[in-house]
Amino acid sequence: MYINAASTISHQPTFRNAGFSELIEPLDNSSELISPNYKEYIDAGLLRRMSKILRMSVAAAKDCLTQAETAQPGAIIVGTGLGCLQDTEKFLNTFLSIEGLLPPTSFIQSTHNTIAGQISLSIGNHGYNMTHTQNTLSFEHALIDTSLLLGEGKDNIITGAADEFIAFLDEAAEHLNASSKHHLTSGASFFILGKNKTEKSVARVKDVRTAGLIQDIDAAIDSFLLDNFLNISEVDLVLYSDFSEKEKMDSVAHQYFNEHYHADSKLINYTKLSGLYPTNSAFAMHYAVDRIQREPKLKNVLILNGLNKINLGLTLIESLEA
Amino acid sequence: MAVRITGLGIISAIGLTVAENLFSLENSRSGIAPVKYLDSKNDFLVGEVKCSNAELLGYLNIKSQPVSRTSLLGLAAAREAWGRNRHTPELRTGFISATSVGGMDTTERFYKDYLDQNNPDYAVLRCHDSGNTTERIAAELGITGYINTLSTACSSGANAIMLGARLIEQGKLDRVLVGGTDALTNFTINGFRSLMIYDDQWCRPFDESRTGLNLGEGAAFLLLESDKSARISGNPTICCLSGWANAADAYHQTASSPEGTGATMAIQNAIEVSGLSALDISYVNAHGTGTKNNDLSESTAMINVFGDNIPDFSSTKPFTGHTLAAAGAIEAVFSALAIQKGLIFPNLNFNTPIAETGLVPITELQKDQPVVAVLSNSFGFGGNNSSLVFSVNR
Repeated sequence: MYINAASTISHQPTFRNAGFSELIEPLDNSSELISPNYKEYIDAGLLRRMSKILRMSVAAAKDCLTQAETAQPGAIIVGTGLGCLQDTEKFLNTFLSIEGLLPPTSFIQSTHNTIAGQISLSIGNHGYNMTHTQNTLSFEHALIDTSLLLGEGKDNIITGAADEFIAFLDEAAEHLNASSKHHLTSGASFFILGKNKTEKSVARVKDVRTAGLIQDIDAAIDSFLLDNFLNISEVDLVLYSDFSEKEKMDSVAHQYFNEHYHADSKLINYTKLSGLYPTNSAFAMHYAVDRIQREPKLKNVLILNGLNKINLGLTLIESLEA
Repeated sequence: MAVRITGLGIISAIGLTVAENLFSLENSRSGIAPVKYLDSKNDFLVGEVKCSNAELLGYLNIKSQPVSRTSLLGLAAAREAWGRNRHTPELRTGFISATSVGGMDTTERFYKDYLDQNNPDYAVLRCHDSGNTTERIAAELGITGYINTLSTACSSGANAIMLGARLIEQGKLDRVLVGGTDALTNFTINGFRSLMIYDDQWCRPFDESRTGLNLGEGAAFLLLESDKSARISGNPTICCLSGWANAADAYHQTASSPEGTGATMAIQNAIEVSGLSALDISYVNAHGTGTKNNDLSESTAMINVFGDNIPDFSSTKPFTGHTLAAAGAIEAVFSALAIQKGLIFPNLNFNTPIAETGLVPITELQKDQPVVAVLSNSFGFGGNNSSLVFSVNR
């Protein structure tokens, strides 16, 4: 499938900023979400009621439609690891502390599919509308669904992923001893994916695979590369994510690719760039596209998502010249 | 198109197994009653699974905690549907569950303690996310690889079934266990009450006097197999899943369009995918929540598609309550049973047709019916509309 548009709102200057991959540095812990002027994308009345995740997602999806010069996508597919946390927390607070009649807005907007639903509402789209929520693999599952739909004859699909940070997450992580060196962040990345190469195409998603409750990581990477007729040395760039990140040698990516790559520049931990949220592999996909557009020598970029050690996501992005 | 359905599993307010659910359906025994198991100050009418968490843990022989009630219900149904099937390298097996609340049953207890500064147990937050709900079930069944969760509110269960069928149709998997699970929570009860669509009496789908829904809880799973998989497993085919579709209403975040736009598209497209005609549908297991808005919109959609030839139809939600993400899966099991046993289930609590449409559902159990194809509707928040078509194996 071909990537015909890409848009990301994150803690980095990614939005409507082609070439951002050359500019950005690893995030420090004081970074904040860089929000566009949402009024340019969302009706003021709707915007007032929208949480962060909804604003990011609708704006990024609409930006994709503008880039691809598409009025209506064939479908809308969203991945989200934790869904609409801001409204979920708000409604928990509401019903646990107020007696009697409760305001319904935060309940209505707490369901995971509010994101895809609000995109369809904002553009009047009646197509297939789906929401995948498999924690760190939610975006990869959205991509797999997209490839099924393209196989069924649908085209020009908006596919993306989003997660939002709320302050409670830092507290929870601390109590669960899950604190990481990485900064917990928010992000939304959306794409237009099509069956055929068009003048808007910037790169291609050659293959995507998930392995839940994985037993043998090396074997999974082996067979993924084999099925795509690639030697390890033909992978020009590996974008990886490991939650633990204690020592380099511990990481899935380094263990697998260490013998072949002696240049650190070929192995990039994208969580350092995006911050930590469950669907940050979607950020990595946009980053890959942006790099490919600027560096003709990059033919094959592998996104190796090991953010949750029991699950593995593999996505192969190919340049149009490959 | 068609994939085979070779296993069924269910746990709901009307029984812990397929056999118990069937018995209740045949004897018009509703499972809706005042709250008993959920920690709630109120006595709202709900369709609870008649087991405490401790009883479920014992029944399922689960030692590892914390675990959400959503996972426990899901595991009960998934185990029954999986039955005695074995893992074999010849067959690529997947698992797709649907949930709208995930581990909210544990999270809301945590959050109450958190607000009260009453020594909250942060460890339960590990089972909050919907994906974890699914992974717990998959791990117990020994399924690895394609493990996924869908969350599209009240249509989630139907969407999980549809996604499984599509993965088999495109040769990505050989067999896949599909369904949904949701535990009853104060979060959802309060949510639907805030929308003022929670009935304090028994819900009355398709009745002029209807004023809302009763929430329920439960889970159901179905084993879908390709021809190759059924040949290797030797499992007999109960019926086929032959049509599926999802469409967005794009009308309102919670309300359905009065013209039933998205619902009409979902029904029409699902029948088209099945290769059948509207006249072939023997029975419609309606979404029929009992809210003013849904039942009118769904009735209009049925008239749009079927015209003067509306098939026998009923909502089984007066038996189970509205089980949200599990509803599409529970009703898929009921649809399969309708075909397998030649039954059409009654729409309990019905008296007076809706004035605008005049449609009358089936109100008494119909036995020995030639049920060759069943349409099952699931319509959710965000205008997420899905329809499935089940048919006899020919």
